[in-house]
Amino acid sequence: MKYDKFFALAKEAGIQEAELYISQKYEVSISLFHGEIDNNSVNNGYTIIARGSYKGKFGTATCDVWNAEKAAFLVKEIVANAKVIENEDPVFIFKGSEKYTKINNFNKDLALIPLDDKIKKLHELEGALRAYDKRIVEVQAVEYSENANSITLINTHGLKLVHKSNYYVYVGVVAAKEGNQVKSAYDLLLNNDFSKADVKTLATEIGKKAIDQLGGEACESSTYKAVLSSDVVSSLVKFYIGHASSEEVQKKSSLFMGKINEKVASSKVTIEEKPLARTVFARWFDDEGVATKNKFIVKNGVLQGYLYNLTTAHKDGVTSTGNGYLGGGKMDVDFGFLVMKPGKKSLDELFAEIGNGVYITEVSGLHSGMNPQSGNFSLQSTGFLIKDGKKDRGLDLITVSGNIVDLFKDIQAVGSDVRVFPSEVSCSSVIVKKIIVSGK
Amino acid sequence: MISKKLAIDVLNESLSTGADYAEIFFEDSTYYTTSLENGKVETSTSGSACGVGLRLLKENQCVYGYTNDLSKKGLLDLASSLNKSFHSERLITVTKLDMIRGKNRNPVTNSYDCISREEKIALLKEGIAEIEKDKDPRIVRYLSYFINNHRFVAVFNSKGKWFKRDSEFGRLVFNVIAADQNGFETAFEGPGCQQDISYFKSKVDVVELARKTVETALKMLTAKECPSGKMPVVIGNGWGGVLFHEACGHALEASSVAKGLSCFSGKVGEMIASPLVTALDDSTIPQAWGSIDIDDEGNFGEKRVLIKNGKLMDYMIDDFNGRRMGRSGNGACRRQNYRYCPTSRMSNTYIANGKSTPEEIIAATKLGIYTVGFNGGSVDPSTGEFNFGCSEAYIIRDGKICEPVKGATLIGHGDEILKKIDMVGNDLALGQGMCGASSGSIRTNVGQPTIRISEVTVGGRGGELK
Repeated sequence: MKYDKFFALAKEAGIQEAELYISQKYEVSISLFHGEIDNNSVNNGYTIIARGSYKGKFGTATCDVWNAEKAAFLVKEIVANAKVIENEDPVFIFKGSEKYTKINNFNKDLALIPLDDKIKKLHELEGALRAYDKRIVEVQAVEYSENANSITLINTHGLKLVHKSNYYVYVGVVAAKEGNQVKSAYDLLLNNDFSKADVKTLATEIGKKAIDQLGGEACESSTYKAVLSSDVVSSLVKFYIGHASSEEVQKKSSLFMGKINEKVASSKVTIEEKPLARTVFARWFDDEGVATKNKFIVKNGVLQGYLYNLTTAHKDGVTSTGNGYLGGGKMDVDFGFLVMKPGKKSLDELFAEIGNGVYITEVSGLHSGMNPQSGNFSLQSTGFLIKDGKKDRGLDLITVSGNIVDLFKDIQAVGSDVRVFPSEVSCSSVIVKKIIVSGK
Repeated sequence: MISKKLAIDVLNESLSTGADYAEIFFEDSTYYTTSLENGKVETSTSGSACGVGLRLLKENQCVYGYTNDLSKKGLLDLASSLNKSFHSERLITVTKLDMIRGKNRNPVTNSYDCISREEKIALLKEGIAEIEKDKDPRIVRYLSYFINNHRFVAVFNSKGKWFKRDSEFGRLVFNVIAADQNGFETAFEGPGCQQDISYFKSKVDVVELARKTVETALKMLTAKECPSGKMPVVIGNGWGGVLFHEACGHALEASSVAKGLSCFSGKVGEMIASPLVTALDDSTIPQAWGSIDIDDEGNFGEKRVLIKNGKLMDYMIDDFNGRRMGRSGNGACRRQNYRYCPTSRMSNTYIANGKSTPEEIIAATKLGIYTVGFNGGSVDPSTGEFNFGCSEAYIIRDGKICEPVKGATLIGHGDEILKKIDMVGNDLALGQGMCGASSGSIRTNVGQPTIRISEVTVGGRGGELK
């Protein structure tokens, strides 16, 4: 598509510097129910976010159809929006980093594999889930989806950056029943290498998750030693690292305020942001065009530094860390692929280490049960009792409560059972010294 | 907007390989958001969303796609790409499209488009002035937003119907963060409406809203942690209805009922709740947050009685899921925008008034908690397991509201909790929320009078309730 018209109109309107962020998304998805295709979608869409500086203030506007009329619309809206900005923060349209480490992790072969082969695996997944255990009473859904995304950044300084990525996902959801108790479970696998689409292992994991929950009941309300599964850690770590945002620190709402080079976690905890790792999550420039880099955020429990975009970096007199990402038309501070350093003990060894306690396998309701500012949480959970160093009966209808920073300070051991989650986190199970459980 | 002639061509191309239903969903929306941080305008963004979603059905199979290429070629290409899912003879040819009209309960005046950004900002600043007046030093951040959206939709389907739906809505939000040496607390107020700007100027007391947000944040900052365990819980009116929304509403949507995946599948006529409970989903309330005149399949909005005196009466149904149930849609088919395939969703969902006064309910409770502010929740419709978080709560002791507590989360099974509602108040109110599910994030009202649940599991960090 031609974007010259937009830049010409912007210049005429008195917009000194301007930029277009163009996100293109192509998605195919297919789901089965009882062996038949019940949903199939093919989507192809754009989102165009235009930013420009007008009299020293930033205006932003978006659209998803590109033509001369929309180019004029974006220019008009940028000017109108910039005129009402009162914030004194400097505005930046970036000229480009000195050096970029380009990562090309787009797998061209994925789209060439016939759709029928992908659907065949979907049938295999459904069949394997049904065959897993007779207590699996329903395979609620199995779905294959494939995404190819591109991000293009073009600005008036002549910067033009393009990043492409693709991946596929297989998902399965089942219900298991025993007596009057029904439990559901889901899991997914995400990759862009189709040879790694091991749906049989996925089916086993989902089936086991569902069956293991049957027969569970609440435990006594108390404070327990706990093993948190990698799944639970992956849910919590993003809220925790969110406090490393320089914007939150500058606005005085971060729990990491004034904590650089101080202990914010147990010495067992090391967390890196690795946007340049060769994964489907790789990003070699952020949404401002700044080169991204791998970096430690917490090392042996000590906070290494804050995450910056161009504006927050300018305020603190430092350089951007490549963490400027658009959210709702605003350039937020955010992060990509997080990697928590694994330990050496297996999950069974973690159980043995705590002797008696609880093993929390899943938490839900994070959007309502987690206060991102205070870090206090109270979350619906499932899991197991740990008795005499071994996994015991299931736990049903319990909540776990605590504070996110206290929890990371209480990590006593990190396991070796690393899993990579679609939420862009690689982590393993951990032991925490205490967690409050509400049950009976 | 696409022409009727082009719509007929696209529908016929979609139907050429044997689909038994096709539908074009055209959308052209504009939206605007301004946000103030500590009293100053920090961001102002606006935009347009324009695209077409195309849905083809054949028996129990659904095929969906969307595009931003609104040219004749772009739309016919989408149709021919989707129709490859079917391989039989044409069943239907569309020759004409007749317009249908709803009751226009939600008229559009273009008021948001006609007033300036400065006017919307001035409205927010009335509240900001209240926050900044004698500002408590513990208030470290205060944010406010004004959001408005004008959405034009046109739907053409192979039943020979087409209709337009024009809607506008606005929302005004205050969010305050308070901090002391022990940590942070936040408070949020965000009324919304499907009415013109005059609603915010005449019916919303912006100053009071801002004052209340500050008061709640400070109160929660010094509140003790909520006790944990099983206990009686009195849930305040209005936004407290998120309990019913999560514990029951989602499990009554045909998207899970039709395939037998809901804990309430096949239970029409059975007692699923306490006899004190009557619950409705009513998309016909004029200008309410979740109202629609016509749903995305061309069915008119309805006042659906879901539960009457404890007995399950009906579900929220869309035409597609209705096929598995032997039912037609009852006006509940919705989606966020053209990028989402539509399905059955809630609109304005609430528990109807009972006979007790809120004061009687509190007075009848010896020891428990009273929740009045809520963060939202989630549910697994197949198991009925739900959770919802409380942002403001109090201990009830000997029939009196006592000290505030924070950090409470309620969990349970929807089918069990409905049977434990043992008092229903007479102070029904609605609260505006956004509901997320497979067809995206949509506007829904939750609602209820004050109710009491005899026993529910409460998660918190405060130990045993005393």
